[in-house]
Amino acid sequence: MNPLVLASRRPVAVIARALALLFLVSFLFFPVYWMMVTALKPNQQIFVQFPEFIPTHPVLDNFKRAISQSNLPTYLVNSMITAGGSSLLTTTLAALAAYGFAKYRFSGRFATMNIMIGAQMFPFAVILISLYPMMQSAGLLDTLTGLTIAYVVFALPPAIYILFSFYSRLPNELIEAARIDGASEIAILRRIVLPLSKPALISVAVYSFTWAWNDLLYSLTLVTSDNLRTIGPGLLLTFFGEMQQDWGGAMAAAILASLPAVIIFAFLQRFFVAGLTSGAVKS
Amino acid sequence: MLKTRTLDAAQHRFGFALTVPALIAFLLLIFVPFARSLWLAFNEYLLTSAEPRFVGLANFVRLFADPGFRESWRVTGIFVICTTSITTLFGTTYALLLNEPMRGRTIIRAASLLPWVLPSTVTALLWSWLYNGQYGVVNAVLLWTGLIHQPIFFLSDSVGAMIAVISAKAWLSTPVVMLFVLAALQSLPQEQVEAARIDGANDFHVIRYVVLPHIRKTLGVMIILQAMGNLQMFDIIYAMTSGGPVRATTVFSIEVYRRAFENWDLGMASAIGVIWFLTIAVIAIPYLRSMFTETHGS
Repeated sequence: MNPLVLASRRPVAVIARALALLFLVSFLFFPVYWMMVTALKPNQQIFVQFPEFIPTHPVLDNFKRAISQSNLPTYLVNSMITAGGSSLLTTTLAALAAYGFAKYRFSGRFATMNIMIGAQMFPFAVILISLYPMMQSAGLLDTLTGLTIAYVVFALPPAIYILFSFYSRLPNELIEAARIDGASEIAILRRIVLPLSKPALISVAVYSFTWAWNDLLYSLTLVTSDNLRTIGPGLLLTFFGEMQQDWGGAMAAAILASLPAVIIFAFLQRFFVAGLTSGAVKS
Repeated sequence: MLKTRTLDAAQHRFGFALTVPALIAFLLLIFVPFARSLWLAFNEYLLTSAEPRFVGLANFVRLFADPGFRESWRVTGIFVICTTSITTLFGTTYALLLNEPMRGRTIIRAASLLPWVLPSTVTALLWSWLYNGQYGVVNAVLLWTGLIHQPIFFLSDSVGAMIAVISAKAWLSTPVVMLFVLAALQSLPQEQVEAARIDGANDFHVIRYVVLPHIRKTLGVMIILQAMGNLQMFDIIYAMTSGGPVRATTVFSIEVYRRAFENWDLGMASAIGVIWFLTIAVIAIPYLRSMFTETHGS
């Protein structure tokens, strides 16, 4: 139990706290509520100056339209492939490297790792300026493979840092004992280190998945075919057009586009929160 | 007692080998492209040019003479400072409030992270709808309470568009600050709070003299991380306003995107990128320094 900070029982203090909480809870939750309410309303109830706060006749038309009249299902599948693939790739690369940096001694390891961690300062758009022609000459432009590989840029440096912090705290005695028993280095990694680091690996995987899932900049630039688009640019180009006024459909599509990440997060939240707060990351 | 064996050369080589795949990925995908972009800043490189042509500092001279660039500097500053302050204030207050025992606290905490999990285009769509000029709920509330008499077309107004993107980004990041501050409050020493109360401290005194010094380091890291993230913000702003109306929300990221991928002027885009990177670096140095001490200290 955390120690009590706001303890005053004076009516003014109690009311002020309640109002502040009400304000912040509304600020955080009302937009989500409004997204759901709008998605459930028929158009004639959406396009009014004073909307109803509780829908009297909820309908699912907007969801049906969002699925049938846009490429949303394709976008979702593409996002799953690229975000899932890059999350797996980033976590694997970062786990191996972080363990190597944390538990072995070889020259130049601090310098190398600090440069990798310091790369969090590099603006993604500046990297993209030169990554784009490189992807082009590798024939990876406008492919899901190319986008998956490019997404490694986002989370690799923080992932190495988070996992390095984790492996540094792993007791050396465990590894030493296995070595004395004659276990090879690979066996130690596979049978002892990786199983022990499952929570940290999950939190890094969720973290890099979220970065890729949320992306707009790289997907907008590196992919141009509509059937290869991910949800970021997909939603943008479908629902932000000049003529676009389908707010009900847009909110329904927004809900559908959010569901996979929300479900994954709900299941893995426990690991994720602990892992995230143990090593601070950019948001 | 067993003597700890020192690792032999083969084991060190194994350790190094583990870092090689990440090192290759890092060099190919991050370091080389970034270094090349830095070099492009000193070149003229347009869609029409076959090869980059070295021009020295000419791009920077042109940039500093360009009022549009000074404008994007100002816009970036306003966006970063406002968003970072609001997020820090809201997140810290929210953490203090959720720190108190109440029913359903665990669920509220977990659910509060929702804004952070939503794809940024969804956040952008959602806030564009809330701020919609004709049918937006923000206008409905303002009209209904009598604060305004005519609906405001937020996204086509230069101040309104800035308010809209700042609220969307603050909404997205407040939960993260809340989470970190809440984690820091867990180690707040109960005795210190009680001792202060015995000395007659009220809630404000406790916050000012006990809580804030205790969470100072966490808050510092959060502010730096927020500022770094906000300096890099692209998705939400681009989706909501594309940097407009005119240039009212054209932050560095949008300026670079436009010059690089709409005008294909890679030299100028990179020159802005260099200045952008230096701005981030100044903010990031204290944070990186603490990270480096940690990596060396272990």
